[in-house]
Amino acid sequence: MSWKHVWIVFKKEVKDMIRDKRTLISNILIPIILMPLLFTLMGGGIEKMEKDITENITVALAPSSNTEEMRNFAVNELFVDNPNIKLIEIEGDPVEAIRNDDVRFVLDIDENYIEKLENCQPYSVTVLYDQSDTKSGGSFGIVASAIEQYSQKVVAQRLVDMNIDLNILQPVQIQQSNAADEKGSGNMMLMMILPMLAAILIAVGGIPAATDLVAGEKERGTFEPLLTTQSGRMSILLGKYMTVTLFSIICVMAQLIGVFIGSIVSPGFLTMGGTGADLSFYIPPVALLLTVLITISLGMVFAGVQLAVSTYSRSFKEAQTYMSFLMIISMIPAYATMMMQPDDVQLYMFFVPLLNAIASLKMVLGNVINYTYLGIALATSVAYVFISLVLAASMFNKEKVLFRS
Amino acid sequence: MLELKELTKHFGEVKAADHISFQVGKGEIFGLLGENGAGKTTTLRLLATMLKPTFGTAAIAGYDLVKEPEKVRSSIGILFGGETGLYDRLTAAENIEYFGELNNMEKTKLKERVKELSEIFGMQEFINRRTGKFSRGMKQKVAFARSIVHNPDIMLFDEPTAGLDVSAIRDIHEFILDCKKDGKTIIFSSHTMSEVEKLCDKVGIIHKGKLADYGTIPELMAKYNEKSLEEVFIRLAGEKI
Repeated sequence: MSWKHVWIVFKKEVKDMIRDKRTLISNILIPIILMPLLFTLMGGGIEKMEKDITENITVALAPSSNTEEMRNFAVNELFVDNPNIKLIEIEGDPVEAIRNDDVRFVLDIDENYIEKLENCQPYSVTVLYDQSDTKSGGSFGIVASAIEQYSQKVVAQRLVDMNIDLNILQPVQIQQSNAADEKGSGNMMLMMILPMLAAILIAVGGIPAATDLVAGEKERGTFEPLLTTQSGRMSILLGKYMTVTLFSIICVMAQLIGVFIGSIVSPGFLTMGGTGADLSFYIPPVALLLTVLITISLGMVFAGVQLAVSTYSRSFKEAQTYMSFLMIISMIPAYATMMMQPDDVQLYMFFVPLLNAIASLKMVLGNVINYTYLGIALATSVAYVFISLVLAASMFNKEKVLFRS
Repeated sequence: MLELKELTKHFGEVKAADHISFQVGKGEIFGLLGENGAGKTTTLRLLATMLKPTFGTAAIAGYDLVKEPEKVRSSIGILFGGETGLYDRLTAAENIEYFGELNNMEKTKLKERVKELSEIFGMQEFINRRTGKFSRGMKQKVAFARSIVHNPDIMLFDEPTAGLDVSAIRDIHEFILDCKKDGKTIIFSSHTMSEVEKLCDKVGIIHKGKLADYGTIPELMAKYNEKSLEEVFIRLAGEKI
């Protein structure tokens, strides 16, 4: 094997791939554009949903409760502290009005509520709403809380009238305190989607290049003349291998740029409707370096497997068919671990290809760093790189495979 | 210049090339004549070191095929039939230079060689254009130039005229004869009698992986007492239906 030949093949392949508009579009342009677009659409959707749930909550009174007195009670007593809850008038059947989205809640207040209130007896307020509607479900808590607040106000007034200290109702006060590392919190969404996306993209990013570089060459008739040059097969393979790895990494880089742009354009998406300021985290440089190396190694593993598959394939189309299976294989663990939290990561995951990169990324993004685990992940990744390279080399040296056509 | 010694290639039970032996002298054109699947391409792939022989070897430009494959590759140029096999997104010059570089040519010499080949094949107008949109004729010129960029002593042509039109076939024939004029030793495979008769100094008839016989066309006709090469071929390789 000659490194000079490896470099010649690598230079040529990169030049060739860069001139291929399809590769540029699928590896660079789409990831850069897709993420901000996804963030804007999904982030915008989340923000709108949040707004719809908390603002402009419309409430009407059922026909049996729709009197001047009841309306005054609702506006001046029940929802007096909730300007976001608006009492409106509806005509006809309240169920129909809810189904037609004319109003979100219809209240049916006990007709004897004043009498019961004065006699310190409980009275009912029935809240009618569409329980299958996400917005109504979200807003119900706000309406219920407003009614509960009113109820507590009445209780407090009664206790004051009876000269009883209000503290008697609250023997225990709950105080909330966040035990999560400040540097690791706030990026839940990032912990969920970034490892998944990185794993999938590093696995699929090299597919266009790998398909083109061997199966494509076989089909176009450029492969056989290449084998008759003075460069050895291993030099050709390594040059191509480096190209596929490079394009896998470029794909992930483009994705990260896309995520970065997306987080600027629509910060609400990554913080689930919060402000962009929530999205701050810190990764120790050594952990970051180890994770980058693990991710690159994963790209190298897939580059080797993809080249082996491409070498085995007789044509571009056949290679594409096999590669789609490879894509599905990478998606299964990526999606299966999407909801997994950094604390839930198990030791065995650092021995399994793909899972080791996902687990490492989750750990560092969640700032739950275990250098032993990262070291295991890197060591196993290097071993898998070696195995995938051996697989690709054995395919490249098999005459039956090379000349299957 | 080139001597095959019991060159054999088995693919499992199939004997694609079975103890093939012949010699070709410097500046000679040797035609491998045979039907589809007779073993012509396998023999050329063995000579190009793309396949490893199961048994036997060959001496090519003084190098042993099995022991010195890289040196053998430095002495051969190869042109395949059908597709010209160019990189569409590279320019004509880049296509040629890539193969020159992989054949260990120095950069300065390579640039000069590309310029020289560009003049020889009349490619000055399109040498710096990408080959993707070239006509078949233009592509063929680039493929010719690429195959001889490192100035090999031996040229291998694998059914170079398969599927081509008359003018393209003529261009290839001229190229083969030019290679002969330059003193190159040529082996080419074909199943077309007329082109073998037109170009070859010696002919080898290959059938089911075995070299049935070889020699000059007059020698073969005299030996088998036939009036044409076609008759000799039918006698040695013809299958009764």
